[in-house]
Amino acid sequence: MQKTARQPRLSASRINQGGGYWIWYVLPALIVYIMFMAYPMLDSVRLSLYDGTTGEFAGFANYVTLFTDPDTAARFWGAFGNTWVFFAYHMLVQNMLGMLFAVILTNRTMRGRGFYQTIIFIPVTIAVMVTGYLFKLLLNPSFARYALQDMGLGALARPWLGKEETALHVVSLVSVWQWVGIPTMMFVAGLQGISEDLMEAADIAGANSWQTFWYIKLPLVMPVVGMIAILTFVNNFNAFDIIYSMTGPKGQPNYSTDLIGSLFYRVGVVGDHPISNPNPGLGAAISTSVFLMLLAGVIPTLRATQSKE
Amino acid sequence: MRIFTALLLAGMLLLGLLPLMAQAAEPVKLTMGSWRSDDVAQVSELMAKYKEMTGVEIVFEPTVPNQYNPTLELQLKNGTGPDLMYARSYAVGQKLYEAGYFMPLDDVAGLEANFPAAALDGWRAADGKMFAVPYAAVSQITYYNKGMFAENGWEVPKTFEELLTLAQAIKDKGIEPFANGIASDWDILECVFLGMLPNYVGGIDERAKYEAGEKKMNDEAFLKALTDYAALTKFFPDGFESIGNEDGPALLGLGRAAMFIDGSWTVGMFNEYEDLDVGYFAIPAPEGNTPGLCFHTDMGIAGNTATKHPEEVKAFLSWLATPEGANTAASYLPGGFYPMINNPAELTDEKAKEIQALGEGKVLDSRFIWSKLVDMYTVMVDQLNLIARGETTPEAAAEVFAAEQAKALGQ
Repeated sequence: MQKTARQPRLSASRINQGGGYWIWYVLPALIVYIMFMAYPMLDSVRLSLYDGTTGEFAGFANYVTLFTDPDTAARFWGAFGNTWVFFAYHMLVQNMLGMLFAVILTNRTMRGRGFYQTIIFIPVTIAVMVTGYLFKLLLNPSFARYALQDMGLGALARPWLGKEETALHVVSLVSVWQWVGIPTMMFVAGLQGISEDLMEAADIAGANSWQTFWYIKLPLVMPVVGMIAILTFVNNFNAFDIIYSMTGPKGQPNYSTDLIGSLFYRVGVVGDHPISNPNPGLGAAISTSVFLMLLAGVIPTLRATQSKE
Repeated sequence: MRIFTALLLAGMLLLGLLPLMAQAAEPVKLTMGSWRSDDVAQVSELMAKYKEMTGVEIVFEPTVPNQYNPTLELQLKNGTGPDLMYARSYAVGQKLYEAGYFMPLDDVAGLEANFPAAALDGWRAADGKMFAVPYAAVSQITYYNKGMFAENGWEVPKTFEELLTLAQAIKDKGIEPFANGIASDWDILECVFLGMLPNYVGGIDERAKYEAGEKKMNDEAFLKALTDYAALTKFFPDGFESIGNEDGPALLGLGRAAMFIDGSWTVGMFNEYEDLDVGYFAIPAPEGNTPGLCFHTDMGIAGNTATKHPEEVKAFLSWLATPEGANTAASYLPGGFYPMINNPAELTDEKAKEIQALGEGKVLDSRFIWSKLVDMYTVMVDQLNLIARGETTPEAAAEVFAAEQAKALGQ
């Protein structure tokens, strides 16, 4: 009792004097974060331990089903593999194109930069559903054939989205087309921040443009590269809408475009058509597994690319 | 400051009470859930008529078809479900009744007497009680371009063998015989294969044998159906892997394809194509088989057990179960949907009448798997896709069907 009485009393002025005033700035964001991010996420982890149909506690049964039931495991690993392919396209094609565009756009001799920047960025502003349906029509041979034949490109009228061999690659490239503007803009901002003095020094030292890029520009935008890598990683492992609009929630054809996102939607939210038998427990097990995998991927990337201040 | 707060609170309280005070005077307003987002105009007219008669307003609030089941289930679970709603027949509807969301309708007078047994069967729960009033049925048929047929001297085929010969002749002309594809992942089963099936396995009595496990889905009849289906897919358009159900009417309408196997509900879609004179024929049976037609008990209307206005809901359902109500409702149905009441009034739409006539003298049945084998849906779609792609054989698919049938029946 005595000990407690001796402690300074908590009051607003006390907090401010003690330098704890920052709490008031953090609190609103913290409350929103806990309510809309942390709590739902933890609740999803909790849900993954309950039976999807009866709602009873089931321990790790959902995880056991997910990884050992042959049908379920085949779908999960299929979707997992597809998601990596989808991610690889964004990491390699989208981000490298973004870097290329950014280097060209920030070149001192570049003319009409605003125009090209706008063109590259416009697809980002279009709803994914719209992009998806437009490309679905463009890639449909029964409608595109006539226009393609007029251009002498009749051989290109193929069921790109209907073949298992091509569907995932085509969907990935459409998504790359849509989102390439984001890394471009971020790299442009990063490259513009590089001091002109450094460039001049490089010129004087006789560095060619490749050397300037490799030894000066790239190391200086590395933190941006890291951020982009993480954003790409996280966004692609959550991708769903482009699949839903282009090939359908089953990841047609024959599950070849099934991503973690579409699998989760099918298993956890809607269930099989037409019976509609969603299993929220199993769905939560999928999302929790993927969350842990993402975490394992993001933390090392952050460590490797973000310089310690 | 305190006065301001007090005034604010009083104001809010008043605002909160307003709806309560108003409710007493306002007429009853019910909501109706549905998967027929295309039918807002027709159903709203029917509801206007109903309001004229009874003073009860029913607001039609449809969801897009492929989202209806999960959305409705979520609404019912959370207590925000509509007062009245379209109920899927058989297993999908039964599940919601068993969960306690649908009113039992055993006290609706005339329901049992006014509809044929086959129609009632779709919405009868395991405990023998009805959970919805049969509203409309659909069928799966072949649409064809009449003008194109007349121009080339092609005749409507009488047997499945004739259909294949005709398809070859059409293909030789450089026209796609069928506008069907596999990209949508549902019509290949629901419209094409389940549309063909009554020609091979027969009607409701035969279906019952498969549902009891007496007959296996790799028997001769099924193998023949799958083999014929495989032959049919050879005449699907170039690039059929990318063609979805929504592309079919366009391909037929633009004269790029000659025939399209689809549901009767699509009939209105062809009105957009002024040059197209569309005709209809039932998917023909192979030589020697009894012709059948998939006449599917599709739409029923159920009442929500959690409604605030149970009397008005029951009153609407009772009205719908009378010959007068059913026929009035039927006159507002869009083309391609058929009333199921005994001795229905004659349809006014000529096209709808023509399609209805396709069922005369044939064995009629609902979709084969809807009643007890609906768990097989995804596996069947997947197998049919593989056959169309040439990646599996009818024999191998039949084995998968039989194995899945045993699993679905718990054998």
